[in-house]
Amino acid sequence: MRFFADKKNSVWLGLVLLMLAIDMWVVVTYTPMVPDQHWAQKIFYVHVPVAWTAFLSYFVVMVAGILFLIKKDYYWDRVGLAAAELGTMYTTLVLITGPIWAKPIWGKPWIWEPRLTTTLILFLVYIGYFMLREFGGHPERVARYAAIIGIVAFVDVPIIFLSVKFWSPEIQSHPQIEMVAQPHRILIPFFYSLITFTLLYIIMLRFRIHILKLKHEEAENGL
Amino acid sequence: MFWTLLKKEMQIELRSKEISVSMLAFGLTVILTFAFAFNVSPIIFKTFAPGLFWIMILFIAVLGLHRMYAYEKDFDAFSLMVSAPVDRGLIFLAKWVSGVVFLFITELLIVPPFLLFLQLNLVLNVYQGLLLLLMGNLGIMVIGSLVSGLAMRAKMSEVLLPILLFPLVSPIIIAATKATVGLVNRSPFWQWQIWVLIMGTFIVIFAIVGYTIFDHITEE
Repeated sequence: MRFFADKKNSVWLGLVLLMLAIDMWVVVTYTPMVPDQHWAQKIFYVHVPVAWTAFLSYFVVMVAGILFLIKKDYYWDRVGLAAAELGTMYTTLVLITGPIWAKPIWGKPWIWEPRLTTTLILFLVYIGYFMLREFGGHPERVARYAAIIGIVAFVDVPIIFLSVKFWSPEIQSHPQIEMVAQPHRILIPFFYSLITFTLLYIIMLRFRIHILKLKHEEAENGL
Repeated sequence: MFWTLLKKEMQIELRSKEISVSMLAFGLTVILTFAFAFNVSPIIFKTFAPGLFWIMILFIAVLGLHRMYAYEKDFDAFSLMVSAPVDRGLIFLAKWVSGVVFLFITELLIVPPFLLFLQLNLVLNVYQGLLLLLMGNLGIMVIGSLVSGLAMRAKMSEVLLPILLFPLVSPIIIAATKATVGLVNRSPFWQWQIWVLIMGTFIVIFAIVGYTIFDHITEE
């Protein structure tokens, strides 16, 4: 069955698209200009939700990996793969939007800031993950190994973050630290954006799992 | 059973000396490359030395890890081993500990030429130096044994191993390099103990993860 033939899914997609359009409109017109940052600050309504979604997605990869190893149900393998793909797509966006903000604010596009560095390291691990998926050979074995990489990668995140944080203690000017003190005209659109991107992520994830399921069925039926 | 598995790893290596000799020879060629590539004054060398040292160790560890699992492929020895009634977690622990021992021996042999050829005149606290080597080895090998265990049984293992290992092991490389800077500059231990603690945390976490998960790597 086509995914969007299900009314629930098409309503969800329509709602998310509407929310996204409102989000962009609010960010451009309603949110105040932050002194010294001007338009550059506006990318944070996209950058932070995208980063949150990326890490959420890699968390899903880990949970799906654990469930796959325990239950041996290929549904969880497909969830893991779909989340890994989306996580890497969102991570790419983080690595693009981060330098766009950093260039006017820090004067250079790349700084070894702990969050950005952790994201880059995860991105590199996932390049290996997809190479393993693609070129690893035996599909059943590769599914198990991918689950293990997903678990190991996420367990590594806090240690990577801590070590990079202590490695470059001078870089602490990340704006999210001051978030609590922000006025509601910044906070409300920010959280609205966070919700919108999370809902967008969920529908994307479900759609991707659906496609992977169809592919799996096609391969099984030898079509 | 752990000791039997460890003895097996040690005996194979004592007979063939394949892993240690390859790591040592490769390490020497890396030192040569460093000496040519960074042909500058010894003072600048001293600044770079901790980083260069751990790059070299990471490179030779990858080579060693590859050899450690490659000989298991011959005559399908690995399948025979996992078909024995052995706790698979213990296979992981034996691989890890033997890897640390091989790397440690190689390091003891490679530190003198490293200091000599890069003209580094250092006075180091030997005990702290050995502690640092041991922690670095435990860290690199704990994740290395896990990743090479799965890379070995996949296609393109020689490519997948470093691509997966290098980013995952980055906390150890950062911590080991920073701690070595403290050691080389003869800073008091408390100033760089945080890095030893980070390495310790990494080692404990991945030893437990590896022990638990290795069962799924060895499944047929």
